[in-house]
Amino acid sequence: MLKISLRSLLSHKLRLALTTLAVILGVSFVAGTFILTDTINATFTSIFNAANAGVAVTVHGLQIAGQDNAIGGARNHPVPTSLLATVRGVDGVKDAVGNIFRNGASLIGSDGKPVGGNGGGEPAFGANWIADPEISPYHLRSGVAPRQPGDVVVDAGTASKSHLVVGQALPIVFGGGAEEHFTITGIAGYGTSDNLAGATIALFTEATAERVLEGQNMYDSILVSAQSGVTDIALRDRIAATLPASAEATTGQAAAAAAELSTETTINTFIGTPLLVFAFISLFVGCFLIINTFNILVAQRTRELALLRALGATRAQVLRSVLIEAGVTGLVASILGFGVGILIASLLLSLFGSALTSNLSLQPRTFIVAVVVGTLVTVLAATLPARRATRISPVAALSEALPETQALPRRRIIAGAVILTIGCAALIAGLFAGTGSALQLVGVGFLGVFLGVALLAPLLVAPIATVLGWPVRRLRGAPGLLAAENARRNPRRTALTAAALMIGLALVTCVAVLTDSVRASTNNAIAGAFRADFIVFDQGPSFNSQAATALTHDSKLADVTEVRSTSVLIKGSSQDIAAIDPSNLSKVLALTMLGGDASTIASTNTAIVDSSEATSSNLHVGQVVSFNFPQGATVPIHIAGIYKANALVTGYLVSLATMQPNVPTARDDLVLANAAPGVSQTDAAAALHHDVAAYPLLLAKSRDEYRAFVGASLDSFLNLVTTLLAFAIIIAVLGIANTLALSVLERTRELGLLRALGLTRSQTRSMVRWESVIISLLGAVLGLVVGTVLGVVVASALSSLGIDTISIPGGNLIIYAVGAGVFGVLAAIVPTIRAARVDILRAITTE
Amino acid sequence: MATGPAGVTADPAIATPETSQPPAALAARTSEAVKVYGRGDASVRALDGVTVGFAKGQFTAIMGPSGSGKSTLLHCVAGLDRLTSGEVYIGEVELSGLGDRQLTMLRRVKVGFIFQSYNLVPTLSAEDNIVLPLTIAGRKADPAALAEVVRITGLGDRLRHRPNELSGGQQQRVAAARALASQPEIIFADEPTGNLDSRSTTELLDFLSRAVETLGQTIVMVTHDPLAAAHADRIVFLADGRVVEEVHAPTADTVLDVMRHLGG
Ligand SMILES: Nc1ncnc2c1ncn2[C@@H]1O[C@H](COP(=O)(O)OP(=O)(O)OP(=O)(O)O)[C@@H](O)[C@H]1O
Ligand SMILES: [Mg+2]
Repeated sequence: MLKISLRSLLSHKLRLALTTLAVILGVSFVAGTFILTDTINATFTSIFNAANAGVAVTVHGLQIAGQDNAIGGARNHPVPTSLLATVRGVDGVKDAVGNIFRNGASLIGSDGKPVGGNGGGEPAFGANWIADPEISPYHLRSGVAPRQPGDVVVDAGTASKSHLVVGQALPIVFGGGAEEHFTITGIAGYGTSDNLAGATIALFTEATAERVLEGQNMYDSILVSAQSGVTDIALRDRIAATLPASAEATTGQAAAAAAELSTETTINTFIGTPLLVFAFISLFVGCFLIINTFNILVAQRTRELALLRALGATRAQVLRSVLIEAGVTGLVASILGFGVGILIASLLLSLFGSALTSNLSLQPRTFIVAVVVGTLVTVLAATLPARRATRISPVAALSEALPETQALPRRRIIAGAVILTIGCAALIAGLFAGTGSALQLVGVGFLGVFLGVALLAPLLVAPIATVLGWPVRRLRGAPGLLAAENARRNPRRTALTAAALMIGLALVTCVAVLTDSVRASTNNAIAGAFRADFIVFDQGPSFNSQAATALTHDSKLADVTEVRSTSVLIKGSSQDIAAIDPSNLSKVLALTMLGGDASTIASTNTAIVDSSEATSSNLHVGQVVSFNFPQGATVPIHIAGIYKANALVTGYLVSLATMQPNVPTARDDLVLANAAPGVSQTDAAAALHHDVAAYPLLLAKSRDEYRAFVGASLDSFLNLVTTLLAFAIIIAVLGIANTLALSVLERTRELGLLRALGLTRSQTRSMVRWESVIISLLGAVLGLVVGTVLGVVVASALSSLGIDTISIPGGNLIIYAVGAGVFGVLAAIVPTIRAARVDILRAITTE
Repeated sequence: MATGPAGVTADPAIATPETSQPPAALAARTSEAVKVYGRGDASVRALDGVTVGFAKGQFTAIMGPSGSGKSTLLHCVAGLDRLTSGEVYIGEVELSGLGDRQLTMLRRVKVGFIFQSYNLVPTLSAEDNIVLPLTIAGRKADPAALAEVVRITGLGDRLRHRPNELSGGQQQRVAAARALASQPEIIFADEPTGNLDSRSTTELLDFLSRAVETLGQTIVMVTHDPLAAAHADRIVFLADGRVVEEVHAPTADTVLDVMRHLGG
């Protein structure tokens, strides 16, 4: 039997080509994701290890709960500079240096925009130059260390990317403030790499770093080297004994490992897991293609399999022969998919730029997962067709014609309905019940809905194909008629093919409905959130108050109001608090109070809280909660009011006077301003833009502009998701091509007959093409309907996040439908060529 | 019958009607048709210089041993295949000069087919199958002519059925009706009764004869069945790719005689 499977495999290898391609795409996505994240992790590991190579012990403050540094690691409290002397005095310490290393030093390029740094999304670090070559992670590649207040050394990665050279003048912006001018005195590597995985690093003298990075007599850490003969662990323990309770010591290795671990977690959370979800979707769609292919192969081989049964083959042998064929296909495809995954990963890595220079990390785990997943998926998907093969009776070998259209068995209808119901239930439970495993439930819900609809879809094929076929028939005459009839002749095949496309389109549609609803809600929310004419903000972290101060002095502007924020611990969990000048509150913000009065925050240690936080923490007016500020102070805060959730400020809102004493440096999240009385909006806007031009990281927008800006970021989110779903959609389109190609093979005789009866080649092509378009549009109809319903359901479940308007993007849906039609035409290219090439004589003379 | 092989001549060159009436207009004809399959040693000369004409309004049967080139001749005359050399005409049009598209158009308008295995389009109803050539050509069926065709097929109540709901005989009558529906100049049938029982065979042949008599249709039919051939106005015998005999107004007995004569 093995021989028969393999021989059958070889004779079908063309027919299996597209199936193989689908598995390759799915597997390559999985493998690519692993390789990508492994490589990024390996890059960080080597960076951290090299940077910490000479550091025996690191001294830092305790971890700040709920805050992280710019590269995803936990963030520690700084330690006072005075601690350096203590550490230096410990026996066994060879040298100890203070380290200031903070996000917020953006290098400004010749175009006035930040290079790399915050403009490009990566963090922009500023740090003090560390002279001790043993401890320092910075190694000069050219030039000299910074000595003067205006000296800066930049990392080699940024230098080469932005063509920076020693001696060049370089403007730098700190914390979103105004440009300061520096001269590049040197270019340094970080550890053994050019820089810290794409982040920019600017190195200053310690005094300068202290000033520009607002060190405030604190080091972020103290780096210690050991005298020879003293182990890291021994030294750590000795140092730890001398430290106050607010500081702790770790070995350099442990510090590197902790940094690695936290970046790895971040990378998996933000890159690995989302990509794997999309890889899974691709594989899921691929399953439909696999099932369809093997179904068709089994149908085409019915007579052969029946003959085998008549000759004494058992059902188990028939089952095995189909599964072996699937297994070998899956195995070959998986191995190829692993190869393609390597290509994809290196392509993506090259998009990340030169930042990740280390070699691709190919782990045995990746290969094993790719091969096992790919093979297993193929075999599992082929199980259904294989079971059908076992049900072929030996008599089928003798019967003349095989019935082509089978009615949908009731079992399948019931199964479809049950699965659909379970899916809906899981979805509703996940969205509305608010249990811990909401995300998993929603995932199961989507899966159930897709499977259920796919199982029930054959019922819809005939009616929808008739409706879609009507215009085609009118437009295209005989080919149109035949196309419509062909699309509905085998409802299960058509349904399965269309269902694959449905999934991709439904997900895109769902996300489109969600983003559009978010956009509409945000538009409303922004319109209702603030009264100010203008808003100034930074796309990166919060910014210092230089800009606000400058705007305050502009006579064309009035009510310039800073909105500051920080996070505090309340009952052990991190919460956002915002602070504002209460006297301007009513002029710039539009708060709808549900209880109490907004003006009460004018008294110190008084807060108002938004309604969703009030509900989830069960707060009411008059209550007192403890704010645990990052610097350590615990302040009892009186809750004096509850406001309706607002698009600009969330959580607890206090006065600047309440927040200021408890945070080290003033940082603005937003600055709001109005046109001064008597000044036109245009004049005020011109003045504002002129003022803000001095702060390269800041953006100034009118209310309308701000709305559009938020909308644009939603668009790029939608585009990203659509791109990630492209794999699934490509696989679905391959599925259509596959089904058509196999159907054309199956209908060779019929095609020959039609050609004999006078169907021209171009009419033949038109017939196949329109069948393809009808199948695609069927997928589009299902996808758009299912996606819209899912989108509306999910959006309405997210009303607590402020999605209060549900909006269906009609334009997008039309584009998707047209796109599906175009995909249909594309999918038909190869099948049409085959169909037109059918040899009339061969077709009608061979039995 | 005592006439024996009367009306039979062994010489194809004088195989024209025995009377001296002027030759009828020809619906199709070949001249020195040669068809060679394959190359070199493996080549087969399926047609070896066939010159034959099919008169308008005549029912011609083609007989001959298996492998004698009957199907090949039919395919070449019908424009489904091309000759290696020689000429073939449908009406006044010489086929070898035509491209695929022109051949397709010619088939569409001038030629009808009936195949051994019924070759209906499974997705279409009997009626849609019958008018399919017209649909393909983008023409409307003449309702009167269609009604007449349907009447003589005797399929009246089964027109809405799909092929798999019809018997073999019924399917073949649908195929025949399809060939007639576009009122082609000539219909080619390759062993149309090959899969039918004797009753269905008789029904189909009666149907074809009636089409010739009442509609003036031209039909060329390949068959192995002497009884079927006896329905024709004329029989052309092929052997080894050549025309070896012709019989006019045959009966089953004269056919059998000739077959015995040729076989021996
Ligand atoms: N496509 C082909 N390639 C090679 N040889 C062929 C091909 N078609 C037919 N032949 C050969 O040409 C000769 C004539 O074949 P043809 O099919 O015309 O015979 P036939 O008279 O129709 O026979 P039958 O009564 O068995 O149908 C045969 O020897 C056959 O083997
Ligand atoms: Mg033949």
